[in-house]
Amino acid sequence: MVSTEERPAIDVRRLTKTYDGGVEAVKGIDFEVASGEVFGLLGPNGAGKSTTIGMLTTTLVPTSGTALLGGFDVAVDPREARRISSVVFQDAVVDRSFTGLRNLDLHAKLWGVDPAKAKTRVAEVTEALGIADLVSRTVGTYSGGQRRRLEIARALISDPRVLFLDEPTVGLDPRIRHELLDVIAALRAENEITILLTTHYLDEAERLCDRVAIIHAGQIVALGTPEELKAKLGRELLELRIDGDAPSALDILHAHGIAGGDAFTVGSTVTVPLHDRSSADAIAAVHALGLATAAIAARRPTLDDVYLRLTGASLGAD
Amino acid sequence: MSAIANEMPRVRRPSPVAANLAPLATLVARRFALTARTPRELVVPLLTPVLFALVIAPALKKALHTSASYESFVAVGTMGLLIPLNMMLSGLGVIVDRESGAQRELLAAPIARSLLVLGNLIVALATTALQVGVLIAFAVLRRIHFHVTGTGVLWFVGAALLLAIAMYGVAETLASRVPRAEEYVGRVPAIGIVPWFLAGSLFPIGAMPLVLGWIAKVLPLTHALALMRYGLLNDSSGLHAIWKMGSPTAMAALSLAVVAAFAALLTTVSIRVFTRSALQ
Repeated sequence: MVSTEERPAIDVRRLTKTYDGGVEAVKGIDFEVASGEVFGLLGPNGAGKSTTIGMLTTTLVPTSGTALLGGFDVAVDPREARRISSVVFQDAVVDRSFTGLRNLDLHAKLWGVDPAKAKTRVAEVTEALGIADLVSRTVGTYSGGQRRRLEIARALISDPRVLFLDEPTVGLDPRIRHELLDVIAALRAENEITILLTTHYLDEAERLCDRVAIIHAGQIVALGTPEELKAKLGRELLELRIDGDAPSALDILHAHGIAGGDAFTVGSTVTVPLHDRSSADAIAAVHALGLATAAIAARRPTLDDVYLRLTGASLGAD
Repeated sequence: MSAIANEMPRVRRPSPVAANLAPLATLVARRFALTARTPRELVVPLLTPVLFALVIAPALKKALHTSASYESFVAVGTMGLLIPLNMMLSGLGVIVDRESGAQRELLAAPIARSLLVLGNLIVALATTALQVGVLIAFAVLRRIHFHVTGTGVLWFVGAALLLAIAMYGVAETLASRVPRAEEYVGRVPAIGIVPWFLAGSLFPIGAMPLVLGWIAKVLPLTHALALMRYGLLNDSSGLHAIWKMGSPTAMAALSLAVVAAFAALLTTVSIRVFTRSALQ
């Protein structure tokens, strides 16, 4: 069936997942991802990111709602949805006693890639991911970063429309992590591919994603470009480390009109978005109040601030 | 932000037949390669039956002053140990795949998930056939006499094949339900070995107490062993002990139907349990 109708690469409507025992992991989320877009799902462990990926890759059955991949409903046409997508899992999912090449070949055959095209494609992706010299070795001899590159290469063999990357850099050392981010950034630059990335590393999201959704306790609490989300906190914010009770200090800041409704505390730190107020003016006002502060600084908002304001919990926490 | 047109997927779409046969062949080749890399999995299940055929059966014959036919009786009986044991141990591969292998990649592939079970089954059948062949070869070298006819071989192959399929159904079901390999291995003797003592492997089921005799009659292994002895030794006494009928062929057909029913039921259950455990 060929149609000129345009549709998102991923279209999620009121998607819900309740596990046996009544745990609601995903609570009616909605989002769309356009073709060629890199979309990030951010949130701490247990927020519902992997459950969402599981439903989109048809390894989990949604409780209600719909999810379409390239127009294919994952509940109605799961094989077609899988045919146009690939996934790189959070943990290693490879046959370690096989060579890298055999793992790539297995994917090509299961996804029905023409053998001649598969050979060309293997050469292309292994070269692009810098593992061409490794693929004749058994995977058991690979380092963590090499294995992750192999898994990304494998996912690309079938030339998927949609690529799912579930926490692709978790557990990797910082150098390999940054190398891998370069690889993913190159992927989006060189391929016409839609990527859905889950992560709890905000620098990854800022670097790679066109838009992000912050998911918390199974619900999307914010959605937009990283710049849009940060802009909601203004150009600058004030960060105060309090000697004493931070919530009480925040109450005082509220009472004196220094902090608005979007100020928040985490531990002994009070964060105050400044919006139109200058940082010099705000710092002077704080000093005038005589609050016991161990440190006070002004800085630009980050996605971490956005998340903390929306959820009151730090990313990466369980 | 753009949107995509509803075009055909970029990958080649195979014909309906190839859609299942080609990935099944791929899965079989994968499982066979994984199995061949751990040859001890092929050898270990053979040790006990070979020990029975070469050492224990002759010793029993000597100690109990039985005839040469007892060695033949036990030689076939050892297949009733080899087949369940080997099929049960094949289930370990499912757990390894799930815990540290590529199972989730296979589940994300655009193929019917029942093919994952069938691919494993085919390789388990092939390795078991090889082992049964080795066991028969050992028995022949030991000068154990078989009474082989074309029809008898068919009864034997049918019984052995269906028993193996049934046991793999048990193995796959258990592997899907049990979280760790250690727990799985702990349950193998109860499923793979205990029924062997009840199923007329070393002595006719009529020699057992009445209640155990009735239990033996509902075990697929009892029917399979009786059929295998009928096929390889032309000995229908095992079938008669179950059915008490006059026609060996009719009794063989009934026992084959029983084993086939178990095979069909357990395979269906295993596919269902695997699919459900893989999809939450």
